[in-house]
Amino acid sequence: MSAEHRSLGTLEDFTIELDVYSGPYQGLLALILKDELEIFEVSLRELITLYQSAYEVPEASANIPGTLERDTNFVDSATSLLLLKGRALTPTPETGGEEADEGLFSPQNLEERLLSYLKIRRGAEALEERFAKNTGFYPSSHNLRPRRGNLRVPPNRLTVAMRRIVSRMTEPEVRHLGPITVTLGELVTLIRASLTRGPLSFEDLICDMDRLRSAVAFAATLSLASEGRLILSQPEPFGPLTLEPVK
Amino acid sequence: MNTSVRKCAHERDALSATAVIEAILLVSSRPVTLSVLLSVTKLPEPKVRAAISKLKKNYSLEASGIVLREVAGGFQFATNPLCADVLERFRQEDRPSPLSGAAYEVLACILYLGPLTRADINVARGVNSDAVVRNLLDRNLLAEVGLAKGRAGTPALLDITEDFILAAGARDRDDFPTLEALVGPEEIARLRERVHGQTGERSVEDRSGGDR
Repeated sequence: MSAEHRSLGTLEDFTIELDVYSGPYQGLLALILKDELEIFEVSLRELITLYQSAYEVPEASANIPGTLERDTNFVDSATSLLLLKGRALTPTPETGGEEADEGLFSPQNLEERLLSYLKIRRGAEALEERFAKNTGFYPSSHNLRPRRGNLRVPPNRLTVAMRRIVSRMTEPEVRHLGPITVTLGELVTLIRASLTRGPLSFEDLICDMDRLRSAVAFAATLSLASEGRLILSQPEPFGPLTLEPVK
Repeated sequence: MNTSVRKCAHERDALSATAVIEAILLVSSRPVTLSVLLSVTKLPEPKVRAAISKLKKNYSLEASGIVLREVAGGFQFATNPLCADVLERFRQEDRPSPLSGAAYEVLACILYLGPLTRADINVARGVNSDAVVRNLLDRNLLAEVGLAKGRAGTPALLDITEDFILAAGARDRDDFPTLEALVGPEEIARLRERVHGQTGERSVEDRSGGDR
């Protein structure tokens, strides 16, 4: 684990490197909220240690404005993560009613559940040890092509593959999104107009924009760069972005 | 028998069984079972077994950069793990990132209780494991093997794959200790004491014993 060390800054600048995630802290929060990353994969203790090492400030500069706000925001988000983890750990009753709840949380039930989980946990530890002992064995890379008409595919794999092809993807929930107030086309026009005056920093481009417009501006920039209509340069990961017109 | 077939048979006879099996294993990236070796080489079983024993000695961890592994129900040549760092440098490849504790728990659930649906895994672990399952499917350590017919929505059943058996270096599914063997009686007694110590309730076993 590591965190970029800096004496000051905002929570937006806080980047982390964990086994399961590397990037901005706020990106980690977004992934957890979108269920893309399981909260159990993230050690909250590690996160707090990273934060402390990243923003360790000398006592003289401890009163610099913004520090308290940043720390408060971090504590707020870390507390939410803790709450989320705690809630996820609480067993969910499968059937409703007080009687069911009583049975579910009875000592006998708790013993059964804990014993079953303990076995799984020990099984997982044994597996981890076994996997670690068996890493580093690389098999031959030489793959002969199967003879024509000799390729055998198990029927169950075909069934699963077909099911994946014909199954309909679930439509994502979009009710929480507000009305569209800005379009990609508008931002493309704006960027192209700004580039007529020469190279432009992305920060300057979005300095007067709200979060939504900034996000759409970023999408528009990437779109223009992929089409070769502008040159996008970034000297280092998470460093400043510069937009240059194509000559 | 035409001339070319006779010539091939003659050439093969000139080679030892060890050499033939060595060549077959070299070109196979997946483990080759004994029955496949027998049917391909047309050699008698004792001869094939003797050849495999000889190859095991020649390709041991101490003797060679290549080792003969008995995994996933077959035999496979693989590089010696002591050479892994050099090979990764040579191929400019990173070792896959290690699995998380949650991932090992999901694998243990399916290995010991499987095949299971995603909901079964969530119940066994007491938490939502969908993201972990997705990652394990991507890594080909788990696969959908069928449908739980008779259950609402006929959810997919998940089971471990040959890649899982290979990664664990196991011969087959039975080559793992039982769940009961992993938890000692002292640990179980400690757990029961913690649960029932304060309430004075009898444990599940005590109750079932009493009922009898």
